[in-house]
Amino acid sequence: MSAAFFPVATLATSLAAAAIIFLLPEGAFRARTGLNLAAALLKIGLVAWMVRGLSQGHAYAVEFPVLEGLAFVLRADALGIMFAGLSSLLWLFTTIYAIGYLEDSPNRRRFFGFFSLCVASTLGISLAGNLFTFLIFYELLTLSTYPLVAHRGNPKALAAATLYLRFTLTAGLVLMIGMVALHALAGDIRFGQREILAEFGAEQRGTLIAIFWVLIAGLGVKAALVPLHGWLPRAMVAPAPVSALLHAVAVVKAGAFGIVRLVYDVYGAELSHSLGLLTGLAAVATVTILYGSLRALAQVELKPRLAFSTVSQVSYVVLGIGLFGPLGTIAALSHLLHQGLMKITLFFCAGNYAEELGIHRIDELDGAGRRMPLTSVAFTLGALGMIGVPPLVGFLSKWYLGTGAVQAGMPWVIAVLMVSSLLNAAYFLPILYRLWFRPGPDHGVGTWPAERHLGRLETSAWLLLPVVATALFSVLAGLFAGLPYTPLEWATRVANLEYLP
Amino acid sequence: MSQEIFAALMIAALLWPLLLMLREPLMAALVGRGEARFPLDPLWATAPLPALALALLGGDGSLTLSAWLLGGVWVLDEPRRVLLGFTGLLWLLAGWYARGYLAGDGERAVAGNDRAASRLARFALLWPLTLTGNLLLLLAEDIASFYLGFAVMTFAAYGLVIHSGTRDALTGGRAYLIMAVLGEGLILGGLLWGAGSLGTLTLGGLREGLVNLEHGVWIGLLLWLGFGVKAGVAGLHLWLPLAHPVAPTPASAVLSGAMVKAGVVGWMATLPLGEPAAAQGFVELGRAMLAVGLAGALGAALVGVCQRHPKAVLAYSSVSQLGMLAALVGAGLTAPGLWPALAPAVVLFAAHHGLTKGALFLGVGIGEHPPRLPAWALALLLALPALSLAGALGSGLATKWTFKAALYDGGHSGLVAWLSLAAVGTTLLMARTLWCQWQGERQARHNGLMPLSAPMPLAWLLLLASGLLLPAWLPLLGAEGGSPPREELAGLWWPLLAGLALVLPAIWLTRRGVSLAWHRPPPGDLWWPLSRAAGRLVEAARAGGERLAAIKGGWVAWWMELERSGTAALDALGEGESWLRRHAALLTMAVAIGLALVLLFGAA
Repeated sequence: MSAAFFPVATLATSLAAAAIIFLLPEGAFRARTGLNLAAALLKIGLVAWMVRGLSQGHAYAVEFPVLEGLAFVLRADALGIMFAGLSSLLWLFTTIYAIGYLEDSPNRRRFFGFFSLCVASTLGISLAGNLFTFLIFYELLTLSTYPLVAHRGNPKALAAATLYLRFTLTAGLVLMIGMVALHALAGDIRFGQREILAEFGAEQRGTLIAIFWVLIAGLGVKAALVPLHGWLPRAMVAPAPVSALLHAVAVVKAGAFGIVRLVYDVYGAELSHSLGLLTGLAAVATVTILYGSLRALAQVELKPRLAFSTVSQVSYVVLGIGLFGPLGTIAALSHLLHQGLMKITLFFCAGNYAEELGIHRIDELDGAGRRMPLTSVAFTLGALGMIGVPPLVGFLSKWYLGTGAVQAGMPWVIAVLMVSSLLNAAYFLPILYRLWFRPGPDHGVGTWPAERHLGRLETSAWLLLPVVATALFSVLAGLFAGLPYTPLEWATRVANLEYLP
Repeated sequence: MSQEIFAALMIAALLWPLLLMLREPLMAALVGRGEARFPLDPLWATAPLPALALALLGGDGSLTLSAWLLGGVWVLDEPRRVLLGFTGLLWLLAGWYARGYLAGDGERAVAGNDRAASRLARFALLWPLTLTGNLLLLLAEDIASFYLGFAVMTFAAYGLVIHSGTRDALTGGRAYLIMAVLGEGLILGGLLWGAGSLGTLTLGGLREGLVNLEHGVWIGLLLWLGFGVKAGVAGLHLWLPLAHPVAPTPASAVLSGAMVKAGVVGWMATLPLGEPAAAQGFVELGRAMLAVGLAGALGAALVGVCQRHPKAVLAYSSVSQLGMLAALVGAGLTAPGLWPALAPAVVLFAAHHGLTKGALFLGVGIGEHPPRLPAWALALLLALPALSLAGALGSGLATKWTFKAALYDGGHSGLVAWLSLAAVGTTLLMARTLWCQWQGERQARHNGLMPLSAPMPLAWLLLLASGLLLPAWLPLLGAEGGSPPREELAGLWWPLLAGLALVLPAIWLTRRGVSLAWHRPPPGDLWWPLSRAAGRLVEAARAGGERLAAIKGGWVAWWMELERSGTAALDALGEGESWLRRHAALLTMAVAIGLALVLLFGAA
C-alpha cells in the first residue's frame, strides 16, 4: 500500500466518524456507540501499523501544494507517531468513558460529533509535517473543543467556554503572525529541516529569537504556561471526559507538542541552545511548575486542584525541552505521554466520584475508598505518580529531568524538582488520606452528597473500565520501562534521532 | 545453588508478600461483605519466609532484570544476607505476635464491629506491602529499585502507624508522613544529582563515583540528611517518639527494629565509605555525621529518661542507638582505613539493635497483658533484652566488643569514650523503660489480667532468644559473630555499672516521693514548637496569597473596564454611523445647498 494511504486514512477515520455522527439521529444510541468504538479501534490499528512500519524503516507521507511555496504536508515521523499513538490510545478510553458518562443526557449527537472532530484535529496536529499544516489543525482543535466545553449550556459553562475561546483564538492569531514572519524569513520549513534556520548568520539572531518567543506565546496558551494559563482552571466546568481530553490528550498536549516541534524540528536543539532560548524556556517552566503547585494547594474542590496540577505538570515537558541534551529530551517526550496517562486517570476518577456519589469538594471524599475501591486505587496510583513515586511513570519523568538537568549543566533544576515533589505531596496526600483513612458515609458517618447506583460494580462499567485500564497502563509502563514500545523506550528512540547524526 | 533457583528464590522473596497482600481483597470479595473473617491467619504470617530462606540458603549472587524500571539489578552478598536475615526474622516474629495482639480486634470484627474489621483489613493489607518495600531496598543494587523499595516501605507504613485512628495516632502519623516526605525529597535530590553527574544507574556506581566528584560532598549532604530522617539523626528524629508509642506494638517493633535501619543501609549504599581517595569534603561530612550522631546519642538519652510511656522511652532509645550507628558511619567516612573493620560492626550493630529493640517493644505488649508467670520470671525476661541493649550480655556485648576492637585498632579511643558515655545513657533509658513497664504491669494486674493469646508470648520469647543468641547463629548467614575475651569484660561493663550507680539512688529517691523531673519535654520535643511556627508561616503565606489575589483581581477588573469602555466607544461610533445613515439625504441636501450658496455668493 502506498505511503500516502496511512496518514490520510487515519485522519479520515475520525473525520468520517464525525460526519456520520452528525447525520445520525439523536436517539441512535447503539449505532453511534458502535461507530465511535469502531473508529477508535480502527485508528489504533492504523497507528500501530505505522509504528511497526516506522521501526522497520518505512516512511509515510503525503503532501500537495496550497499556494506557491506553501504545502499541506502530512507525515508520520517517530515523534509525530508517538503523539498520535498516545492520543489514539487514550481516545479509546475517553470514548468509552464519555459513552458511560453522558448516558441519558441531551445533545449527545452534537457532543460526539465534535468529539470526533477534536480527535481528528489532534491526529492532524501529530501528523502535520510543517507549521502551516500544524496551524490549520491547531485552530480546528480550538473550534471543535468550544462546543464541548460549553456542552452543559449553563451560564458558568458558557462563560468558561467564552474565556477559552478568547484565550485560544488570540493565541492562534499570535501564532499565525509568528508563522508568517518565519515563512517570510526562511520559506516553508518542513519539520525536521533544522539546517534551514541553522544556516542563518549572526545578523539574524535577534529576529530568530523574537519570532521564537512570539511562537511560544502562541503555543503557550494551550500549553497553559503561566501567565497564559487562566482558561484552564475555568474550563473544568466541562463534563469529565472533556476535562480528561483538555488536560491529558488533546488541548494542553497540543500546545506542549507544538513547543516540542518548534524546538526540535524547526529551530533544532543546537540552535535553540546557542540562541539561549532553552534557558528561557526552563525559567518559564520553573515559574509555571511552582505557581501551579502553589495554586493547586489552595483549592478546595477536586477538579480545580487537578486543573492547577496540570498547569504544573505540563510544564515538566517544557522544562525537559529546556534542558539541552538527550536526557532532557527523553524527559520531555516521555512526560508528554506519562502525564497523559496519569492525568487522564485522575480526571476519570474525579468524574466517577461526581457521577456516582455527587462529590465535588475534597472534604466530601472521606472514606470514599471503601465505597469505590477500584476508582480510589486508580486515583491513588495517579496521585503517587504525580508526586513521582516509583514504580509509576511519573518517577521516570523525574529521573530523566533530574539527570538531564545535570547533563545540561543546570543542577538547580533538581531543587525545583524537589520543591515541586514536596508540593505535589502536599496537595495529593491529604486527598489520599481522606479516601482511605477517614471514616465516611460507608462507615456510618454522614451521607454522600448525591449517591446513585449506576451499576452492579462500584459504578457503571463504562466508567470503571477506562479508569482501571489507564491506571494499569501507568503502572506497567513504569514497572517495565525497559520493554520495547513503552513510552520511555519510544521517547529514547526519538531523542536518539534528534541527537545522533 | 544454581542460578535459576537463586533467581526464583529472590523473586519469591519479594513476590510472596505481595501475593499475600492481594489475597486480602480477593478473600474479602469472595466471602462477601458482612461475613467478617480474621484476616491475620497463619498463611498471612508466612510473608517473610521466602526472604528468610534466601538469607539462609542463598550464596553470593545477583539477578539482572533488563525490563524492570530503568534496569533492575538485585544482589545478595554478605552484609545484605545479615540485614535480610534479621529483617526477615523480625518481621516474621512480629507478624506472628500481631496475630495475638490484634486478636481482640478480630473477635470484634467477627462479632460485626465494622470499624475493627476495616482496621484489620487495612493492617493485613499494608503489613506485607511494607515488608516488600523493606526487602526490596535491602536487595536492590540499582537506584530505581532501591528508591522504589524505600518509598513503598515509607508510604505503606503510614497506615500501620495510624492504625488505631485515635487523635494521638493521627498526630504521630502526621509527623511521620511530613518528615518522611521531606526525607524522600532530599533523597531524590541527592540520587538524581549524583546519578546525573555520574551517568550511573547503580548504587555501587554512585558510591564509587562520588569519591572525586566536584559537588560530591553536597550530594553526600543531601543523602545524609535524607536518609537521616529515617535513621533518626538528631533534629530529624521528631517523628520517632511521636509515631512509635501510637503504632500497634508489632508495628512499632518493625518500625524501630527494621525500617529505621533503611536509613543506615542508605548511608552505607551511597556514601563513599572506606574510599581513601575521597575528597576532603567527605572527611568534613564524616566529622559532622559523627558529631551530630553523638549529640543525638546523648541528647536522646537525656530527653528519653523524662518520658512516661515505655514506648516513647524506647523510641528515644532508638534515636540514641541510631546516633551511635551514625557516629560509627561518620567515623568510617572520616577515616577510610577504619571502614573495612567497622563495616561488619555496623551491620552487626544494626542486626543486634533490630532484634533486641524488637524484643523490647514486643515486651511492652507482654507487660500490658502479663502472662500467668511469677513476677520475678517475667521481670527477668523483660530485663534480658534491656541488659543486652546496654551492652552487658548476648548480642549487645558482642556488638560492643566488635566496634570497640575496630576503633581501638584504628586508634580512635576518644570515640570509644564517647560511645561508652552513650552506653551509660542507654542503661538509664533501659532502667526507665523497665520502671515504666513495671508501673504499667502493676496497674494491669490491679485491673485484672487481660487474656493473653498464645501467639504473643511465643513470638516474644523466640525474638528474645534469637536476639540474645545472635552471635551464635550469625555464621549461618555467613558472617562472624565475635565474642570478647574475658579480660576485656571489665572495660565493656563499666558503662552499665556507671548507669546502675545513677539509677539506684534515683529509684531510692523516687520511692521516697522526691520528684526528679522538674521539666518533662513532651514526646517529639522540637516537633511542637516547629509545628506551631509552621502553622504561623502557613497563615502568613495564606494572607499574602489573598493579598496577591486581590491585586490580580483589581488588575483583571481594570482590563475588563478598559474593554468595556472600548466597546462602549465602538458602540457610540456605530450609533453615530447609523445616525449619519438615517440623515444622509438631509445632510447631502444641506451640503449641496451650502455649496450652491458658496458658489453663488463666491461668484458674486
